[in-house]
Amino acid sequence: MHLRGRWVLTAIVALLTVGLVLAPVAGIWLNAAEPIKIGEVGPLSPPGGYADGKLMKDAALLAAEEINAAGGVLGRPIVISAQDTRGLPEEGTAAAERLVSKEHVVAIFGEFHSSVFLAEMEVAHKAGIPIVAVDVWANKITAKGYPEVFRVAPCQALIATQYGEWLAAAGFKNIAVLYEKTDGGQSARDVLLPILQKHGIKYDVIGADLDQKEFTAQIERLKSHTPPYDFFATMFSEAGLYALVSQAHSLGFAPSAQTGMYNSGGPATTPTFWENVKEGGVYLITEVPGLPKAKWNDKTKKFVAAFTKKFKSPPTPQAMESYDAAYIVVDAIRRAKSTNPKAIVQALEKSNWVGTRGKYSFATDHNPDWHYHQFVTAPVHLIQYDRVGQTPEDAPVIWPKSLATAKSLYMKPSK
Amino acid sequence: MDYLFTQAANGAVIGIIYALIAVGVTIIFSILKIVNFAHGDLYMLGGYCAYYIIRLLHVPPFPAFLGAMASIFTLGIVLERLLLTPLYSERTERKDEYGLIITFGLAFFLRNIALILFGPFPLRPPSFVPGVLRMGNLILTYDRVVAGAVGLVLIVILLYFMNGTLWGQALDAVSQSRDSAAIVGINPQRFNSLAFGVGAALAAGAGALIAPIFSLAPDMGVSANIQAYVIVILGGMGSVLGSILAGIVLGEAEGLFTAFFPDPTRALAYTNAFGVLVLMLVLIARPTGLFGRRHLRME
Repeated sequence: MHLRGRWVLTAIVALLTVGLVLAPVAGIWLNAAEPIKIGEVGPLSPPGGYADGKLMKDAALLAAEEINAAGGVLGRPIVISAQDTRGLPEEGTAAAERLVSKEHVVAIFGEFHSSVFLAEMEVAHKAGIPIVAVDVWANKITAKGYPEVFRVAPCQALIATQYGEWLAAAGFKNIAVLYEKTDGGQSARDVLLPILQKHGIKYDVIGADLDQKEFTAQIERLKSHTPPYDFFATMFSEAGLYALVSQAHSLGFAPSAQTGMYNSGGPATTPTFWENVKEGGVYLITEVPGLPKAKWNDKTKKFVAAFTKKFKSPPTPQAMESYDAAYIVVDAIRRAKSTNPKAIVQALEKSNWVGTRGKYSFATDHNPDWHYHQFVTAPVHLIQYDRVGQTPEDAPVIWPKSLATAKSLYMKPSK
Repeated sequence: MDYLFTQAANGAVIGIIYALIAVGVTIIFSILKIVNFAHGDLYMLGGYCAYYIIRLLHVPPFPAFLGAMASIFTLGIVLERLLLTPLYSERTERKDEYGLIITFGLAFFLRNIALILFGPFPLRPPSFVPGVLRMGNLILTYDRVVAGAVGLVLIVILLYFMNGTLWGQALDAVSQSRDSAAIVGINPQRFNSLAFGVGAALAAGAGALIAPIFSLAPDMGVSANIQAYVIVILGGMGSVLGSILAGIVLGEAEGLFTAFFPDPTRALAYTNAFGVLVLMLVLIARPTGLFGRRHLRME
């Protein structure tokens, strides 16, 4: 071999050797710079509950900003890929498919509509990607027993049980129940009715479409019922509630001295609730899926201040759930020391993280079926507004008794 | 009897609002020969327009309502000039499809731009007249009384305009035959703009009247649109009087159905289905609707 040929061969061998040594190092370096993608799903446009979807997205982005400012996770920044699911199951499926196969996310969290989440979790389950339900309450989400599915929100079994037990404790005897015909609404009805039966409370049940806004004829009918209803329990998660409250109030049905009123679903805690219902909202009772103000921890206070400063509006309980969900996923990645979805699922099962809503952990038993991967101790308390313009955190807490700040279980309107 | 009167009064108010929206669809359909899929979104914009006139200019609700109608009338003319002129061009091959796609796209655009501009949270303007009217057992908010009364006045003005003025007759002439109207000196393009503007203004008026009752949301036009199409078909495509009567009939039918359906726990759930059932029965008996013409296209 000529000297020149030998020199070329040596150079090639040297380059290959250097390449082989440097490639993994460069890979690690490049990987370190590459962000970890996490998917966020929720309604951001009609016909879904886009008001709540926007607050949830804002809170998730705020969490990502804070996490990255603190150095990210595994030495890499995180990127939230937010997808608009429009409140439609088919859009939820498409969004989850996009996140899994195009965005290559390591985990997904979010959603406001149970029916949409049920579609999304099928995609995540098939792909083996962890998915954390943020504000979806249907029992069957965790009852399906998918290992990839976790839930930070309370489910209907936890919420409807709370207000079912409160209705019995407050002494109501004859109740009109109006629920939205969605997975969430039907799940609430299915939990509430056995509790009412158990306590011997009489009830009538009315179903309504989610986009319903004219309730006058129905309310007139309820008003003329004999014997009169002493309570009107509604389960409405969207803007139709405002028309329902205004109409029930202007027709003198509820909340009134004769008939109390409750809404389950969330719209009674949004920033424009009072603008829409005005004095009709006084004495309305609703649930808050978070800690009462007296029990807020440092993280709750810090989040409320940061969110209010950034978005010029206080956060809702749904925003808190979304914020915590982002942190819980990142905490699981950190403990798993990996972005491998299976490792994240295993780490999520062992979560023991303190967020704005208390200490999170997920049950691993199936008894009852909805327990599996449910945040079983998710905080829920009932408030009753006693003046116009009151914020949910300033409203008196009426249930559970251990948290109550009101003098009585129920503040009866004077007229 | 009081119960019946109460339900009938509420049904009438909702029916008048339905009629206001639907009659705009009819006018646009009669003149431009397109189904305006963005009509519900003009209804939504009318409500928001009134809201912001009140909030930003500190104007009382009634002048704000007139301001909203005027603003959306102008917007309607601008939209028609910008987007719909290809409908009148001989070079446009598929005019029906063009009209359908362009108004469908406009609906999505307006809805999403509203979401960005006005935010996702429902808003409610102040009442026209706060309080509740009580007459025996009849309870009606003054907002509903105002919506019904003003809506009725608008309908009467519209009927006078259509039947008692030269411009109204010119519109009718264009609706029957664009070419014949042009022969007698009517400029069809000008009346296309006028028709779209009037239709948009009526939708805006309905939106501004309903806002203190149902609140405003960027997607409020979706269900209004569907109801409007049901009414237009029920009344007969192209018939202004048919749309007005069908709107009131549908509002009353839905209200009375909910009030008197034997099973009170299912009445509300079946209300929309009942509206469609009424439509189906009418179409079986009269395939052209209550007042429909057999031939819509005279050209």
